[in-house]
Amino acid sequence: MTGLQQRRPTGLTRWALPGGRAGFAALVACYAVLVAVCLATLAAAGDLSFGRNPWDNLLKTVGEFARPSFLDAWFGAERLEYRSDDGTVLRVENRREVEANFLAALARAAWVTFQIATLGSLLAALMALPLAMIVARNLRAPRLLAWAAKGVLDASRAVHTLVFGLILVGIVGLGPTAGVLAIALHSMGTYGKLFAESIESLDMAAVEAVRATGARPGQVFFHGVWPTVLPQFVSHHLYVWEFNIRDSTILGLIGAGGLGLLISEAVSLFQWSRLSTLLIVVVALVVAFDAVSRRIREALL
Amino acid sequence: MTSAVHLEDVRVTVRDRVVLEVPRLTVASGDRVAIVGPNGAGKTTLLRLIGGLLETQQGRVRVLGRRLSREAGGSSGASHVPIPARERRSLRLETGLLMQGLHLVPRLTARGNVLIGALGRLEGADVWRSLLRWYPAECVDEADAALEALGLASRADTRADHLSGGERQKVALARLQLQRPRLVLADEPTSALDPAATARVCAALMSAVAGPGRTLLTVVHDLDLLPRLATRVIGMAAGRLQWDLPIDDVAPPLLNALYGHCPDIAPESGLAVSSLPCTGRDFHADR
Repeated sequence: MTGLQQRRPTGLTRWALPGGRAGFAALVACYAVLVAVCLATLAAAGDLSFGRNPWDNLLKTVGEFARPSFLDAWFGAERLEYRSDDGTVLRVENRREVEANFLAALARAAWVTFQIATLGSLLAALMALPLAMIVARNLRAPRLLAWAAKGVLDASRAVHTLVFGLILVGIVGLGPTAGVLAIALHSMGTYGKLFAESIESLDMAAVEAVRATGARPGQVFFHGVWPTVLPQFVSHHLYVWEFNIRDSTILGLIGAGGLGLLISEAVSLFQWSRLSTLLIVVVALVVAFDAVSRRIREALL
Repeated sequence: MTSAVHLEDVRVTVRDRVVLEVPRLTVASGDRVAIVGPNGAGKTTLLRLIGGLLETQQGRVRVLGRRLSREAGGSSGASHVPIPARERRSLRLETGLLMQGLHLVPRLTARGNVLIGALGRLEGADVWRSLLRWYPAECVDEADAALEALGLASRADTRADHLSGGERQKVALARLQLQRPRLVLADEPTSALDPAATARVCAALMSAVAGPGRTLLTVVHDLDLLPRLATRVIGMAAGRLQWDLPIDDVAPPLLNALYGHCPDIAPESGLAVSSLPCTGRDFHADR
């Protein structure tokens, strides 16, 4: 086929894959072997078990999930008595008051999560923009610089937000600051890749036409490049921002602020009904943001 | 005034194939020159060379009194002297290009694209304002007038990627009008247009070069247009200039010979040329 002949010889990293149908079949076979080895080794080590009574546990968990705790803020018992085995009252609790307080704490945590995602995404986009312009091949930055920038972006994309968070909590201490920075460092790689791709898909013939009218370099950028690239940047920004709202909900697990702290609390106390409430809030947050961002993205096209 | 375009010993090769060989060509400033010839004759290559979109490997090119070729003096081919950026830009400003390979900016409106033509001649604070796509009022009026003259007044606020092929061609012409170039290079300016639009575009093109000392070089296939756009006609085939005559001396037999002996290519004929079995020349894409 001509596909192999047309492939440009670009340095050391490009592999020559076997062409044709036989080559693809060989790839599929390799993949099948890999999956089989994974399954077999896990099974041999006895790690492929579902615990002692998975069905009972499942039913119990689903049952508690089906009764999210926020309902108690309106329908809970106003005098819930905790008694010891011989019947003496240990403690009396107003369930409505307790759950109302929890909801208030949850609202604050959700707001912190949103703050972390928003500021982290913006910071990431700002850091990624110059790197993307260096990486984009059609802007012809010096080769060595482009490789360095690509290395930075790849590394930041490879390290998970949680890992960045763990490192940063050790540096800047517990709290949202660590969360913002962790989000920023990880998303920078995603932004850089997306931005560079949209710069590379630019219609260079239009840019060339603007330059050919005798416009100055700055004018060429703001008339030939910017109008085409900006809507794509905004669209990518909304996408990654939404992704980060999801991502930042777990940052609290490591003490970087937000909903994650409440989630880890609920999980470690086996309060599945509270976890249910938390997950409802997370889903609502993401769905609402997705609806808004999709509208904006459609309007920009 | 000196000549607008001067070529000497120019030779352009693509993968060992000579696509253009011009021993000598001079276009006086104020001239109206049309280039005719079959596909693959090197017409577009010649225009791209003069427009600065292509560099010569060999020979000397002078456009509007400035050297375009990179060879210093021309005696030793190895010493490359790059053209200073400032000079290159002022040359681009004075050379108006109307070519298929130069697109409109897809997300800008028709008016926005036309106004791009004015960018190069803005001065002082207007340069900074132009970065926000904020133009002086007289430029905007000029753009609207140019669109109006081409029958595009109602499409001024339509984005370029929603325009038809013919409309885009007209917008590119309006952009060129705002540029006010001294030398206009037009590659088949009427290729996507209906007869009424062709008349309008020709009028606009001629008004763009109406001033004194303004030069027009056009590649045309529609031979009816020759007398309207040119006073001098150059026939090209196989990368070489075959003949160079005043418009009144251009006779049908000459054109027939150029286009490979197709019987019905003469200007007065109304027959569709494309339906005829034209042979004798291989059919290269023109870009």
